[in-house]
Amino acid sequence: MKRSLLHEFTKGFIEENATFRMVIGMCPTLAVTTSVKNGFWMGVAVIFVLTFSNVFVSLLRKMIPDQIRIPIFVILIATPVVIVELLMRAYLPAMYEILGVFVPLIVVNCIIIARAEAFAYKESVLRSFLDGLGIGAGFTCNLMIIGGIREFLGTGQIALGSFVFPSVKLFEPLVVMLTPPGGFMTLGLLMAILNIAVARSAQKKAH
Amino acid sequence: MGEKLIVTPSPHIKSPRTVKGVMLGVVISLLPACVGAVVLFGMNALLILITSVVSAVVAEALWQRATKQEITVGDFSAVITGLLLAMTLPPGVPLYVPAVGSVFAIVIAKQIFGGLGSNFVNPALAGRAFVLAAWPMSVAGAWLNPLTHDAVSSPTPLAVLKGGGTNIPGLWDLLIGNRTGSLGETSIILLLLGGLFLLVTKIIDWRTPVGFLGTLFVGTWIFGKPGALFQGDGLSAILLGGAVLGAFFMATDYVTSPVTPKGRLIFGIGAGLVTLLIRLWGGYPEGVTYGILFMNLMTPIIDRFVVPKYYGYEHDARARKSAEGKR
Amino acid sequence: MKFISIMLGGILIQNFVFMQYLGLCPFLGLSEQMDTALGMSGAVIFVMTFASTVAAAFEQFILVPLHLEYMRTIAYILVIAGFVQLVEIFLKKTVPSLYKALGIYLPLITTNCAVLGVALLNARQSYGVLWGTVNGLAGALGWSVAIIIFAGIRERWKFMNIPGTLKGFPLALVATSLMALSFQGFSRLFASVLK
Repeated sequence: MKRSLLHEFTKGFIEENATFRMVIGMCPTLAVTTSVKNGFWMGVAVIFVLTFSNVFVSLLRKMIPDQIRIPIFVILIATPVVIVELLMRAYLPAMYEILGVFVPLIVVNCIIIARAEAFAYKESVLRSFLDGLGIGAGFTCNLMIIGGIREFLGTGQIALGSFVFPSVKLFEPLVVMLTPPGGFMTLGLLMAILNIAVARSAQKKAH
Repeated sequence: MGEKLIVTPSPHIKSPRTVKGVMLGVVISLLPACVGAVVLFGMNALLILITSVVSAVVAEALWQRATKQEITVGDFSAVITGLLLAMTLPPGVPLYVPAVGSVFAIVIAKQIFGGLGSNFVNPALAGRAFVLAAWPMSVAGAWLNPLTHDAVSSPTPLAVLKGGGTNIPGLWDLLIGNRTGSLGETSIILLLLGGLFLLVTKIIDWRTPVGFLGTLFVGTWIFGKPGALFQGDGLSAILLGGAVLGAFFMATDYVTSPVTPKGRLIFGIGAGLVTLLIRLWGGYPEGVTYGILFMNLMTPIIDRFVVPKYYGYEHDARARKSAEGKR
Repeated sequence: MKFISIMLGGILIQNFVFMQYLGLCPFLGLSEQMDTALGMSGAVIFVMTFASTVAAAFEQFILVPLHLEYMRTIAYILVIAGFVQLVEIFLKKTVPSLYKALGIYLPLITTNCAVLGVALLNARQSYGVLWGTVNGLAGALGWSVAIIIFAGIRERWKFMNIPGTLKGFPLALVATSLMALSFQGFSRLFASVLK
């Protein structure tokens, strides 16, 4: 039974969510999520690389010999990474500095090679394109949610361009949320809450 | 579910001493220093102590209720966590600091891992490290003058030393606690009274505090004075900061320190070394919190590699060797 | 002095796992048993140190003279992947005992972003071949310290009454948070002496 095309896109948000269901791509998920904005741009970079590599892996899937497919995947992933790096350095130099080494490190992000191996290598170009877009967008959502929680608790506000919410700080910000301990804790607790929610709903279904 | 086979890490020795009894002993041993804190720093100190203990107990009860466990706040362990956390805070902190710190200590550092006995870092110290990292300004700068209770901007003696100064209170003032500092760390005499009680009742092992304070004393004596070896003020070093409080009441925590006597000595020395490292060359004036936390992380490794010799094992090995030699 | 500063930086002050968020996937995934953690540490120390050397040499003698710095990411990933392959073949032929101990961990290293991460960081700080190697070693030692401590802690969890929904990654992340908090005491250590 083939899944609908729409589903190839939407599955990346919930059932095949990279961070919470598959638990891959941990380093950038923690390193760049000190604000919604940083999370968003990192996510955009990942969407671009993932869609690009998925499409090309799928296009070339009949030509790639099985034994050396991994090195070829790596090259097909590294190419868009270099493109993103150069584009960011040219047009978003400040953001490029903030994201630092984690932009080139997209190349070893397990999400991308996992999608190439598990999905794009077997599926059609259109499906691979939608899959890359969906998984990437789901990942971006995760980064923005974690970034939002950390930014709100760590600075007392969330800044989206010139729009700042709430305009008055309601509490003394917890600086620790912007540092590694705060990042690990936020992700750990979010996962715990999700696990509990999933267990609850499974229990309800069983009854 | 019925009866389950419960598997727990060693030690498995049964004694008439209960968890509750031991914990009550620790609470009693802390009381003199808590009263001292209220005398020295006034109402603020009392409010911080109450806030901290109440938040800890309520957090524990609520968590256990939410996770449908037996509610064990009657064993005093949450009370101790609350008391210890409050004692490590400056007397001028806003009350949300002890409240958040206690909830963090109980829920994140202890209950998530399965409650008392399963935590790997001392909950009170984890709570302190969290609030210090969360609000560095208000936690590291809210000092009050003892007895007069006016807010001072003057730093603690350790911060003075860190800044290169030498003007610290005299020995007698240090002993009775007439100096700026955290709530429960200043009054050395009252802390020693409590520590002695714990030693006499054999609730704690002497090796941890002796290893800790001894290392700090010797290390400061050797390296304490910049540019000259063997001229540091070792005695002040153990009377300043939270060294006594940490060595007797925190480094000796059963759950997060090694089980073997040798392991406990190593724990004490290691905590002393890290404290020394941070005090003399680190970014913070005080390192007791991080010294103990670091050794908490090392405890499983110490327990793994420092095992007591099995009775008769040595003899056995020698016998086998000689037998092999004969062949 | 620079040697001590880089070593302490990598192990305590700027620990790869606790402060720089590098190598988290294997740190979380391979820390359940002490033996695995020790084996992986050995492999990481070996590969990360010498991959840093190779990458730094590649940078200095090929990329910079040819003005190809913008191709760094592609070049490094290929150099490192090739290096790991070579190490595997070399160990298999010459030191079979070491290969037996580290062999199964070598392919896993390609998923350790710390290896590429340290090479890229070296290039950004223009450490050169010698200091790049030292930094690689320091980072690898720091990563190993972190995973060995964590494995010690995690081995105890098997016997403990941990709520089922928290088991696995949520708990591992919260524990990492507490460990990172404990390592914060080392921040700015020796800052006044070294600079």
